Amino acid sequence: MVGVRASKAHRDERLAVAVLATCSGIFIFAIAMILGFLAFTGTRLFFHDRVSPFVFLFSSNWDGLSGNFGALPFIVGSLIATGFAILIGGPLGVAIGVFFSELAPKRVADAMKPAIEVLVGIPSIVYGWLGLTLLVPLIGSIFHTGGDGLLAAGIVLSVMILPTVISLSEDALRVVPNSLREGSAALGATRWETISRVLIPSARSGLAVAIILGIARAIGETLAVQLVLGNAPVLVTSLLRPASAMTSEIVMDMADAPDGSAFQHALFSMALLLLLISMALIVLIRLALRKRA
Amino acid sequence: MAQAVLTAITPETLSNSSNARSRRAVDRFATAMLWLAAGAVVGMLVLLIVYLFVKGASAISWNFLVGFPSAANAGGGVGPEIFNSFYILFLTLFFTVPVAVCAGMYLQEYAGPGRFRDLIQFSAESLATVPSIVMGLFGLLIFVQTFHWHFTALGGALTLTLLNLPAMMRVTQEALAGVPGTYREASMGLGATKWQTVVKAILPSAIGPLTTGVVLVSGRIFGETAALIYTAGASVSYGKSAYDLNPFHTAETLAVHIYSIHREGLVPDADAIANGSSLVLLVMVLAFNAVARILGRALTLRLTGKA
Repeated sequence: MVGVRASKAHRDERLAVAVLATCSGIFIFAIAMILGFLAFTGTRLFFHDRVSPFVFLFSSNWDGLSGNFGALPFIVGSLIATGFAILIGGPLGVAIGVFFSELAPKRVADAMKPAIEVLVGIPSIVYGWLGLTLLVPLIGSIFHTGGDGLLAAGIVLSVMILPTVISLSEDALRVVPNSLREGSAALGATRWETISRVLIPSARSGLAVAIILGIARAIGETLAVQLVLGNAPVLVTSLLRPASAMTSEIVMDMADAPDGSAFQHALFSMALLLLLISMALIVLIRLALRKRA
Repeated sequence: MAQAVLTAITPETLSNSSNARSRRAVDRFATAMLWLAAGAVVGMLVLLIVYLFVKGASAISWNFLVGFPSAANAGGGVGPEIFNSFYILFLTLFFTVPVAVCAGMYLQEYAGPGRFRDLIQFSAESLATVPSIVMGLFGLLIFVQTFHWHFTALGGALTLTLLNLPAMMRVTQEALAGVPGTYREASMGLGATKWQTVVKAILPSAIGPLTTGVVLVSGRIFGETAALIYTAGASVSYGKSAYDLNPFHTAETLAVHIYSIHREGLVPDADAIANGSSLVLLVMVLAFNAVARILGRALTLRLTGKA
């Protein structure tokens, strides 16, 4: 360093680095606080209220006001709705990602991209309201049921995860080097053969990330699901019966649970479980990407 | 890896799958399906938008847009809710933008590879996947139960800040990454310090995409619901005016209003209000997207002289 007499520019430089690094540190601090506070409050049910974690995870008897905290119906509901969403939204999203990356003429892509951005921007409560007023009556009239339940939730979620899956799978395919496309074509492969046998296999870790982030989006989704599920806190027996998920149950019950009660602690336990699932998915993504590198 | 993948395609695998004509037929079929998939999703989006307009238009009136909500009678408006949505958006941006832009600058321009950088990246990714309702409960725990603020606009805005920091940081990183390296070299070559380079050469060149990103994230903040129900609350404060600037008052936003009016079911025209509110939210999303495009293009043009 020149600066024995630290000029103003150098002082500014050091100050800037300190401020910028502090702002970055806020991210670390924030996630640490969230983990810490939710880990504490989310385990109060077990340590303070003496409810067994096994009861919480594997009992299907839920009645917060009379002290029954079996969260199995909601865990199962969340998993089924998410699984359903991935089953539809996953392949469809990847297909459209392939379309954008390999097929779409530039003008078509330019015209469609804003549509995908609008799809991201529509608030989840509006998706829920559309599901409730459009999809639920439709399902009801087809199957002669009330229409609300995991089928409706799964369909709404599959639409909501589409933008995530589309844009990430498009990115994953775009980074596949062109030499692979050319080599495949030179061997006489058709475009579809190139896509299905060369591009998708070589982009598989990126595509896995797209699907995993789709799962993360679906399992944490709250209001879109709450409005169409019918919210019955019972273990699901049919995709066409009212059910409940972890997120929707939290948002419903939080209004009734007194501060500091075991009931409220049980809801925080569900929030902690959701947080742990999300973090696990992030770790999974890191593993998928590390394998590639 | 390239070789490994390409060995999957050999003249044998191609010919023993079937003859050339049926292979072309499969190709055409697959191409048609991909077009169909993309077309179906865009078609569905258009249908949803038209549906929201048709259903919502009849609920929209001047009274609806500026009027007060009604506790039990028909004809209530959503004026305070719309105001609160903008107010919380403003507060959230006030906290989010400086922190996220600084963090993005740090990661993109300063931080070398290493532990600290990895940790920030990992924290940002984790923060980005925290479900919105979980963030809402964290906000409840901190701002409502620990700080005893009750349900407040400020608590809601801070919760949304945590939720949107990662997206805003990413936007910054991408905007900075788009600035050619020659700008940095030229600026440093003229004797500018790194900070002078970042502030006077790089940031102005990145302002177009940065603004686009900020406006797009704003659209998401505007429609956020789950994180706000138990932080900013599900009712409007009736102080001296419903257009309440006190950040320590309860502030139900438009998106939360759709939830609460449906859940309480007290007013007879709840469905009409939800339809109208959904349309207002949709129009705002479309507006944010349009503004993002126009502003981004205009700023880039003005500050760099090229589109």
